[in-house]
Amino acid sequence: MLELPDDHRAILDTVRRFCRERLEPRVRAFENGDEPLEPFFRELSESLGLREVADALVDGTASPFEGVSPLVLTGFVMHELSRCCPGVALSFGATTGLFGGAVMACGTPDQKRTWGRRALSLDAVGAWALTEPGAGSDAFGAMRTRARGVDGGFVLRGTKTFITNAPTCDVALVQARVEGASDGKIAGFIIPTEARGFTRGRPFDKLGMQASPTGEIFLEDVFVPNEMVLGGLGADGLPHDARFAIRASLGAERMGMIPMLLAMVERCLEEATTYAKGRVQFGAPIASFQLVQEKLARIHTTKMLLEVLFLRQIEAIACGRLGAISRAEASAQKLFAAKAAVDAAMDAIQILGGAGYMRGSVVEMMARDAKLFQIGGGTDDMQILTIARELLRQQ
Amino acid sequence: MKILVPLKRVADPDNANKVKVTAGKLDTTGMQWKPNPFDEYAVETALRLTENGASTKVRLGEVIVLTVGPKEAETQLRGALATGADRAIRIDATDDDLDGDVVARAIRAVVEKEKPDLILVGKQAVDGDSNQVGQLLAEYLGWPQATFAGTIKSEGDTALLVGREVDGGTLTLRVTLPAVVSVDLRIVAPTSVSSKHSPTHTYADGVRFAALMAIMAAKKKPMVEFKLSELVSDAAAKIAYTTHELPPPRKAGIKVKDVAELVDKLRNEARVV
Ligand SMILES: Cc1cc2nc3c(=O)[nH]c(=O)nc-3n(C[C@H](O)[C@H](O)[C@H](O)COP(=O)(O)OP(=O)(O)OC[C@H]3O[C@@H](n4cnc5c(N)ncnc54)[C@H](O)[C@@H]3O)c2cc1C
Repeated sequence: MLELPDDHRAILDTVRRFCRERLEPRVRAFENGDEPLEPFFRELSESLGLREVADALVDGTASPFEGVSPLVLTGFVMHELSRCCPGVALSFGATTGLFGGAVMACGTPDQKRTWGRRALSLDAVGAWALTEPGAGSDAFGAMRTRARGVDGGFVLRGTKTFITNAPTCDVALVQARVEGASDGKIAGFIIPTEARGFTRGRPFDKLGMQASPTGEIFLEDVFVPNEMVLGGLGADGLPHDARFAIRASLGAERMGMIPMLLAMVERCLEEATTYAKGRVQFGAPIASFQLVQEKLARIHTTKMLLEVLFLRQIEAIACGRLGAISRAEASAQKLFAAKAAVDAAMDAIQILGGAGYMRGSVVEMMARDAKLFQIGGGTDDMQILTIARELLRQQ
Repeated sequence: MKILVPLKRVADPDNANKVKVTAGKLDTTGMQWKPNPFDEYAVETALRLTENGASTKVRLGEVIVLTVGPKEAETQLRGALATGADRAIRIDATDDDLDGDVVARAIRAVVEKEKPDLILVGKQAVDGDSNQVGQLLAEYLGWPQATFAGTIKSEGDTALLVGREVDGGTLTLRVTLPAVVSVDLRIVAPTSVSSKHSPTHTYADGVRFAALMAIMAAKKKPMVEFKLSELVSDAAAKIAYTTHELPPPRKAGIKVKDVAELVDKLRNEARVV
């Protein structure tokens, strides 16, 4: 486990105890969709005092963490949730990171006070909707959702898909192309789900991340008042271009995946090591066979490398140099970590044999969940293109 | 009400590194530590007695946590400060130099300075399981005591009704303050503690979590240090350990042919039936 300063350690330990006591026993129920996530999130918020954190961030009353930045704190929570159930972490991240983070970074003071606060304290479930049926990797170029300016606001029309928390959210940040803006401008719109014309599909059934509901959003002439345009209107009376902010959100999302993937690899290593020591075949624990040792050693190596990436983030945050981590680096971190975690989880399944292939085994869940990271937040291919583009521009 | 809670750190039973014995002495290098769970229950009880459950921000009394131990034990004190205790005292000592009696006498010296209304202790520490400090302390102070409390109801600031878990059920004692009370597991059930401030509040089961901001704020709460020799003139422990050894490794199991053989083994070898 990471070597951390005392105050970081105390926070991590507290979140870990919370997850062990309150999340671990409910993982199967969340995975099977037998229990909704919202009561759990409320418990998380109340037990760990997330409302105070949200208040301090929104009202800007001093730095709430003196030494432990909110970003690191979120990383710890994502890490600990992912140790037990990555799907729960994904939904947490969509509310606090994608939705909450975007509002806190670009919202008007009113938007921060209302929606930022509600998302960061888990009072409301948030969603962040960019992807469309025809616009995945080419999210900007192929976007068809349109925002038409009308008296006092905008009217939105279009469909979003594969959106985390869409089936359960209270509010969504919907990205849409602004009609009439010559430069193909895209803007973000904060839409409470009770808005007229806002409907959504049933949660998709999917390979992994089963604890996290994913779905479609349908917008049929949904009116969004000007004050709900993310960041408000510019001097020209038009929304700000959100493309830069969207890229920033994606970069933050990619970085935020590192603690999740690290925790998943840690858990796979623990499960595989314990099993290999206890499982006897040919008269000896399978851990004594070098072919099994090879897999354990590889998973361990992956764990160490992901630790280095996470520590690099913590260090950058601590020195206030997070901005110095380029988009290409965020892409590179995610590209490497996602593939490494999938491989590690598959190796862990291999070590557990049939027991690892059974539904309900931890490594089985980790392997299915790890695959998402090669797709969500931009596919591996798109990360490679981003890295190469930046690399070639520099050289 | 002013409450003093002594708190001991114990080796975390989930330690990846098992306890080692080197040359007849316990070797604790590389160990992970945690607060003794029964002491955590005592802190939780103290917090419940000094707050209004409905609005926990308002403190209606003072909770002081105290440990006798090395510098690193401040981590466990900070943990208690993060959950709500007001200040901490550490009496500097190495674990090797202590026994229950020295600890009780050290705490007595602090009690004489602080004059708390109540001392809440865990019924025992899960490392040595000695179950002594509370009783010794009450004796040294000449205070009333109630051990193994499963419920506590405060009667104003003058007395407590303590439900003790005994074999036949619950024995309720009324102790006048100041007193020493040792707590058992059930004290952290949702309605086990009722204070005059919130007689009917239902708490979350178990020991509360520290709010994340409170963990940082705990760094600023007062923590004072005393030397053991400042507090007790004769700091020599009464218990001397001659040696330590690990339990013998477990022998491999055997397979029995049939029930008859099993019964025979249980009766004649294991002698359990
Ligand atoms: C569980 C889950 C949760 C999600 N949550 C959200 C969310 O909260 N919000 C949101 O907006 N989106 C979300 N997404 C959507 C996700 O971001 C997209 O799935 C992803 O960006 C890929 O888009 P696509 O699925 O349309 O694939 P496509 O873009 O159709 O890609 C298909 C394949 O073609 C490859 N490809 C495409 N273009 C190129 C190219 N130029 N060169 C080489 N290869 C290429 C891709 O790499 C991929 O292998 C989520 C997805 C999943 C699975």
